[in-house]
Amino acid sequence: MIFLSGSRTRAAGAVLHGSTLVAMGLCWAVPAFADDVIRVVSPYQTTTLDPMRSAAAGNIETYGQLYSRLLRRNSETGALEPGLAEKWEISPEGKSYTFHLRDAQFSDGSPITAADVAFSLDRIRSDKKSAYPAPLGAVESVTAADAKTVLITLKSAFAPFLGNAEIWNMGIVSKADVEKRGEEAAFATVPVTSGPYEVKQWKPNEKLVLQPNPHYWRKGYPNSDATVELIEITSPETRIAMLKAGEVDVVRAVPWAQIGELKATELVDMRLEPSTTIYMTLLNHKREPFSNLKARQAAGMAIDNKAIAAAITRGYAEPANTTLPGSVDFHDKDYPGIPHEPAKAKELLAESGMAGREVKILATADAPAQQTALLIQAQWQAIGLKPVIVNVDGAAWWDATGKGDYDAAANWWYNETLDPDLAVRWAVCGSCGSNSYNTFYANAKVDALVEQGTKEADQAKRAEIYKEIQKITTEEVAQIPLYYAPNAVAYSKRLQGLKLTPSLQWTLEETSIVP
Amino acid sequence: MPLLQLISRRLLQLIGVLAGISLVTFLLVHMAPGDPARLLAGERANAETIAAIRSQYGLDLPLWRQFLTYLANLALGDIGLSLRFQRPVSQLIEQFMWPTLFLTGYVLCLAIPPTVVLAILGARRPGGIADQIIRLLGIAGLTIPVFWLGIMMSRFLGVSLGWFPVSGYGTGFTGHIHHLFLPALSTAIWLVPVLTQSLRAALIEKTAADFVTAARAQGATERQIFWQTMLPNALLPTLNLLGVMVAFMIGGAVIVETVYAVPGLGTLMVNALLGRDYYVVQGLTLIFAVSTVLITLIVDLLTAVIDPRVRF
Repeated sequence: MIFLSGSRTRAAGAVLHGSTLVAMGLCWAVPAFADDVIRVVSPYQTTTLDPMRSAAAGNIETYGQLYSRLLRRNSETGALEPGLAEKWEISPEGKSYTFHLRDAQFSDGSPITAADVAFSLDRIRSDKKSAYPAPLGAVESVTAADAKTVLITLKSAFAPFLGNAEIWNMGIVSKADVEKRGEEAAFATVPVTSGPYEVKQWKPNEKLVLQPNPHYWRKGYPNSDATVELIEITSPETRIAMLKAGEVDVVRAVPWAQIGELKATELVDMRLEPSTTIYMTLLNHKREPFSNLKARQAAGMAIDNKAIAAAITRGYAEPANTTLPGSVDFHDKDYPGIPHEPAKAKELLAESGMAGREVKILATADAPAQQTALLIQAQWQAIGLKPVIVNVDGAAWWDATGKGDYDAAANWWYNETLDPDLAVRWAVCGSCGSNSYNTFYANAKVDALVEQGTKEADQAKRAEIYKEIQKITTEEVAQIPLYYAPNAVAYSKRLQGLKLTPSLQWTLEETSIVP
Repeated sequence: MPLLQLISRRLLQLIGVLAGISLVTFLLVHMAPGDPARLLAGERANAETIAAIRSQYGLDLPLWRQFLTYLANLALGDIGLSLRFQRPVSQLIEQFMWPTLFLTGYVLCLAIPPTVVLAILGARRPGGIADQIIRLLGIAGLTIPVFWLGIMMSRFLGVSLGWFPVSGYGTGFTGHIHHLFLPALSTAIWLVPVLTQSLRAALIEKTAADFVTAARAQGATERQIFWQTMLPNALLPTLNLLGVMVAFMIGGAVIVETVYAVPGLGTLMVNALLGRDYYVVQGLTLIFAVSTVLITLIVDLLTAVIDPRVRF
């Protein structure tokens, strides 16, 4: 009896022990969600919290959460709406703008004044370390008329001005705080913010933790009082695994190959959101073979961009027909694009005298760049060029393209607003400071049209100007347009109201968590 | 005092090693194409902005002046400021060090017991069934790439079964144990065969050693011979190998940390290299050098404890 009862006790103990282990396992198996955290994972890093200091992808996404701008874009319609400025007047000749600020506060409770706006915009405009002053290029002066009125005078009428005042680096920072703590310290750990969120903790190279700004001017926003974690993960495999395991809520930059699988995943809302991104091939106009117009046209005709778009993006992107992103205003949908005619390309190349030339194609390690380089290599080989792929990392890529030490390079760019002005300045304007995105393409007529486009107030006339720019630059093959890609973002279904706008801003303040 | 002599000699060597390494890494990272200022400011930044950032951080100075400044700061114990994050490199290293150290300890805990058991089983009857199986498994463990194993385990044990998290470091001791289980296991699967091979070979070699024969002649039992004579002697080469492996893991279990998104030194190193964050790269290589020297010192001291014949 004693023996029996002893064994029963031991058995019971073992069962208890086992079930405790199983229970522990189950506890662990439940996704590590706390309901009050929204986790967003992206390959792009936050490297600075000063909105003026960087135009790199991860920072752009962060700035929108931390700093409010004079205007904002409606996340549903994309229309410009009052932001920190409640209303504004434009002088009849279109040269001066008067903004009336609403009663708003910074995250430390101090009022946001016209002096803060003038201070912030002046830093962006004229500080040497400002990463992207171009959107304010037309501004002559910014002055605080009184505590709540800002007067901005332009050098000349500039049609895209209001849209430019909404771009990601136009965030308003606290003058008093920057002057008190000094520029470096003010943005080093916990900056004073004017946007929907403030910084709770920043672990550089790992994650940025945000919490709602209690003094945010949009009353009732952020919609949820959840903290937000912006997590940086380089490996796409890991990002997807984290989402599927329920460890994160949002994955940015989903690889094309994974979209089908994620669409079929129950708790995931896989979306292809509109973007102003264009994938293209840069050509170096500074040296042979692509300084030769016929060689460029041959290179363009050799490429079957419909097939490339279908192969690389699995049909999720639309083949490009002009040098400008498909979703910017005044994009010429009807332009036929560069035809795919390999036989004619071969003839043109022979006429140009560049047949048999070696072509150095720069490619970074990411999948689309590698695939594009391989496909282009094959198609150029077929018309008689000798393409060689040179693999480099991002830093070396920028170094080589900046110096013009390459012949071709696969890459992408996007425009921060729907207005095409910044796009043309960046991509095809030789005199606008970007060397036509390191292609060194220069055409005086195009440069003149770029200037004319900003001065024209009549929308129909503006449309004609940008149509002309697209026609000339596509015919002259300033770049080889490949495809217009949507932003591929995967969301957990427990979130509502979150999206990535075409200007790469998360609508986190309008997001709520489904119980 | 041989022990103190050993330590002081090693510390002197360390200074030489550090000086050499700092010069080589300084030249290598500065001569690699790519500009930290460009990466900081982003693609849309123009030439003037880049120039202003370069001059603010002293990147426009001649290389020799930058190196001298770096050395002078180093002599004062300052390993510099991260260009990207404007934070002291030491602070970044401290933030990322703990996950890597924890992971390394975890791997050792998972790897050492099976290594000893498998090596003894294999060496007991070389060429026997157990030995053959262990060798086959060993070859499998060695040949499966760690990144592939990592991805497969995170898909199966993490995503499909939901038993383990597939990323991060977790909070608290149990959180770390839970979060780092898959990365530690995938590293251990690769480490155990390496160590087992070494220990097994040493054990077999020692069965024919003179001192084993001598012990047997003196009437020691086989059990005593094995535990007191053979095993301690056979451990020495494996201990050295283990030292190298530990130093290697601290030097950034790069692949495993990337696959499982562990915020450790490997992740920091990769991102610092991609971002051309010069001082972080240099600081990390110095830390790796110091830890390698310290670990070999510890291994040497342990060797001396185990084998009294080894004197310095």
